[in-house]
Amino acid sequence: MKHACREISKLASDSLDRPLSVWERLRFRFHLSMCSSCNNCNENMILIRKSTALMQQTDYGHARLSEAQRQQLHASLDKNLCD
Amino acid sequence: MADDNNPHTWLNEHGDYLYRYAISRLHNEEQASDMLQETLLAGWKGHTGFSGQSSVRTWLVGILKHKIIDHIRKEIRERNLMTAVEADPTTPYFDTDGRWHEAPHAWHESPEALCSSSQFHDVLEQCMRKLPASQQAVFRMREISGEDTESVCKSCDITSTNLHVLLYRARMALRHCLQHHWFEQEKH
Repeated sequence: MKHACREISKLASDSLDRPLSVWERLRFRFHLSMCSSCNNCNENMILIRKSTALMQQTDYGHARLSEAQRQQLHASLDKNLCD
Repeated sequence: MADDNNPHTWLNEHGDYLYRYAISRLHNEEQASDMLQETLLAGWKGHTGFSGQSSVRTWLVGILKHKIIDHIRKEIRERNLMTAVEADPTTPYFDTDGRWHEAPHAWHESPEALCSSSQFHDVLEQCMRKLPASQQAVFRMREISGEDTESVCKSCDITSTNLHVLLYRARMALRHCLQHHWFEQEKH
């Protein structure tokens, strides 16, 4: 099966976003039963999904404009407002 | 004209709030600051259209929201044009027969253990920041915000096939990055 692992890795990702067709699912399951690398890849992707789902979004609650950014914004506003 | 109707005052009074909004969506300080500037200028040009029915802040957030969506869409469009000519970034992971160059290993950590580790959080964040902005944007929307595929396609103005390719590339790059920067490292 040429290009098998490469195609299977795409199916592993796709299976997280859409239902696979019957044929795709058969091919996917069959390949995984024989190929530990692709099986690991599939499990890795699932673990990435599960751990990111549990993760809080990065908290930007305390993010502020730095003094330099603020100065720069005031300056570029001046420049643009005069044009 | 009332004194508060001026971009400098808006920047002083709402700058941090708008900046937080932008950075929580773009995850990039420079882009967040650029979007803020565009918003203030667009607000200035269109401020006669401000009805005064909503607060200035709500009105500015509305402008900013559109600026951010436009920015992401533009990034994806440009990326798509490039993708047509650039090499598939997943190619290096496979030989010409489509077999793994470097076989994926089993990862023996639970999602609960991973997500409670701030070190893992940092590594994942660094791995995500290495992704092209379009992959990063769709990956964050899909996996961290947990949006369904339809809504991600809609916000980014892309087809589902396109989205599947972007997510595939993102997951492959993250898998590879985490393998090297987390799972292969000494026990944490």
